[in-house]
Amino acid sequence: MMMNPDAVEENQEEGNILVWLTGLAFLAAMIAIFIYVPTERTEGVIQRIMYFHVPSAWLSFFAFFVVFICSILFLWKKEREWDIYAQASAEIGVIFCSLVLVTGPIWARPIWGAWWVWDARLTSTLILWIIYVAYLMLRTQSDAGSMRARYAAVLGIVGFLNIPFIHFSVLWWRTFHPQPKVITNEGIGKGMDPTMLATLGVSLCAFTLLYFLLMGVRVRQENLKDEIDRLKKEKLYSA
Amino acid sequence: MDNLGFLFAANAVVWSGIIYYVYTIKQRSRALEKDLELLKEALSRKG
Repeated sequence: MMMNPDAVEENQEEGNILVWLTGLAFLAAMIAIFIYVPTERTEGVIQRIMYFHVPSAWLSFFAFFVVFICSILFLWKKEREWDIYAQASAEIGVIFCSLVLVTGPIWARPIWGAWWVWDARLTSTLILWIIYVAYLMLRTQSDAGSMRARYAAVLGIVGFLNIPFIHFSVLWWRTFHPQPKVITNEGIGKGMDPTMLATLGVSLCAFTLLYFLLMGVRVRQENLKDEIDRLKKEKLYSA
Repeated sequence: MDNLGFLFAANAVVWSGIIYYVYTIKQRSRALEKDLELLKEALSRKG
């Protein structure tokens, strides 16, 4: 894919706006988490981990959803563009899924008295992480080409099927993990204090903006890699 | 204010993770841009 200089400049400008927006959103989230929101009565100050943990989980699930959609589109249309989006999104998803798997146990140690329990939510999240780590390994280990992209796309689709299972696991089984507080049978946000809900909302916005910022950079990098490969071939043939 | 250490640890983990990832992305971008420049130079020298 050849890059138009005007388009690159325009993308950089959009990128700068997104950097500022993301920075401001994170600043607002930090103020809300550490100053604005009241301390939860039963869990105390440790409950504030939720404002990092839940948005990290949301971001990773959203990223894997993008992998799922882009993988389907890649298998259907056979366009490299969709493969690039899927790869970039999977990497971001794995990073934030790792943060979920680390921040969860830090919260669990003082609350449950154990860093880890093999309950349905925790185990299925770990499986999700393993699937997408395997996805990224598949992309780096096997030879370049459309077959690798096709295998990865299939794994990207299959991996996503685990996410509804993760979401409903706390409802289907008796688990240690807390029940959903944002989306409940009573409606969205009915199970939470409004200030806590607002703080979580700001944090979710900040993490979502970060996802789009990182995606923009990673997609640009993959396009640059393709451009380098094209030039290398050109150099090889002209030699 | 029990468990402040755990809250600090979780906060530190999240920020370290994000900053480290952004740093690795930046490093990759630099390496790619350098590669691209070298290739363009080599190709222009060949004419």
